[in-house]
Amino acid sequence: MTTTAHTIDPALYAAATAALRQEARTVLENGTAAAVIGWQAGRRAGSALPAIVTDPAGAEQLIFAPGCVNNLALYLTKAKKEVRGKGRLAIVVKGCDLRALAGLIGENQLNRADIYIIGIACPGVYGAHADRRLPLAEETVAPKCRECTVHTPTGVDVTVGTLPDLPAFTPREAAELARLEAMTPAERWRFWKEHFSRCIRCYACRQVCPFCYCEQCLCDRNRPQAVETTPRPAGNMAWHIVRAMHLAGRCAGCAECERVCPMDIPLNLLNRKMAKELKALYGFEAGLEPQEKGPLTSYREDDDQSFIK
Amino acid sequence: MHAEKQQHAFEPKIVAFVCTWCTYAGADLAGTSRLQYPANIRVVKFPCTGRIDPVFILRAFQKGADGVLVSGCHPGDCHYMAGNFHARRRFAAFRQLLDFIGVDLNRLQFSWVSAAEGGKWVDVATELTERVRELGPLREFAALEAEEHWSGALATPELQEAYNSI
Ligand code: SF4
Ligand code: SF4
Ligand code: SF4
Repeated sequence: MTTTAHTIDPALYAAATAALRQEARTVLENGTAAAVIGWQAGRRAGSALPAIVTDPAGAEQLIFAPGCVNNLALYLTKAKKEVRGKGRLAIVVKGCDLRALAGLIGENQLNRADIYIIGIACPGVYGAHADRRLPLAEETVAPKCRECTVHTPTGVDVTVGTLPDLPAFTPREAAELARLEAMTPAERWRFWKEHFSRCIRCYACRQVCPFCYCEQCLCDRNRPQAVETTPRPAGNMAWHIVRAMHLAGRCAGCAECERVCPMDIPLNLLNRKMAKELKALYGFEAGLEPQEKGPLTSYREDDDQSFIK
Repeated sequence: MHAEKQQHAFEPKIVAFVCTWCTYAGADLAGTSRLQYPANIRVVKFPCTGRIDPVFILRAFQKGADGVLVSGCHPGDCHYMAGNFHARRRFAAFRQLLDFIGVDLNRLQFSWVSAAEGGKWVDVATELTERVRELGPLREFAALEAEEHWSGALATPELQEAYNSI
């Protein structure tokens, strides 16, 4: 089925990379930022890893490619104090990552004046199981990019790269969400029970999430223990409910949690569901603009209470 | 003897998380007014509905509650001004989450009961108890717990039978 028309031209990424390096060199040279958080090429073909560049010559390492999947906003949370200590920081963000950054600013984890944001016009990135020798196309693109509404970041200090005419990828997550919503509660319970029972409690999903910055997670506490820590059914169910609840109204939808999950648990379905409900209930969408109050940290006197007797 | 035990009518266990200022006082009023309500309800008192973490509800279900009631002051009557407004949003979201995971929302009731509403407390408590009695025991969470302890071997008929007779 795939034709070249459904492929994104790799030359676009090369052009974005050149522009990105130029921008990074300039901000480091003129002292706009003490360090630039971006991506560098990984050892395996098509892979990339986070890079923190502090000297202008180092800007040459930076890249933007379909392998630049990481949400770098993670490096600006309080949990990563060693990065924050470097001074004023520049950070490279895709549209979806920008939502996380806006969320962190809204939660007073960051001050907008302390960061310089280099936005990337982003055609898409690889999915978790993509063959990275192939160009970005229907089979290799990440699920979140199929339904992306934020290809061009807004409210940034500078944008690099240009957006091509994007191929129309078939949406998947929205269809999967609709399929689940149409199930009976018992069917949904079976669905999630099966998925959650595979969870090995590695907490990769928590470590990669920009919003999981609590110094002590409720799920690690043992006096009293709220959530069993063993990777077994009851504790897993509780962990996933707590995770979804704590991210409700905050989650930026970057889908990093799902990408890093070694057990392929469809975590972003839960995130999306909560985002959808909070939008329906309170008209709130996470992270488009830094907002002081989230839907669960504010209220209106006339909020719906039809479920309360 | 075992057979006899199994024939016992199902009595739901219901945990009620209530705020101390309104609903607890309302339940107390029901008591001092000699109003009758089902003995299935176990009341746990909190300073405010705003202090009731959704994880408590989860914990109650996991530890054997068949139904959960959360009750506090009417909007505008909160002792801490806005605790119940915040709780209202949190519980609205939590209900959607539980529903999406597949928990029957008929087992979870929220209500506003003031210190003067002993009668309303009796109504809410009775209604929920009756509804959960109809639904029967909450098996889902118990099954997860059992798998936790019995390594998922519930699939064998012997264990399933032993489990059912508990
Ligand atoms: S969701 Fe949009 S902005 Fe984010 S990586 Fe995919 S295409 Fe880029
Ligand atoms: S919960 Fe997942 S999708 Fe949401 S912000 Fe965290 S890592 Fe991103
Ligand atoms: S990353 Fe996956 S397996 Fe690991 S704790 Fe999260 S959901 Fe469980």
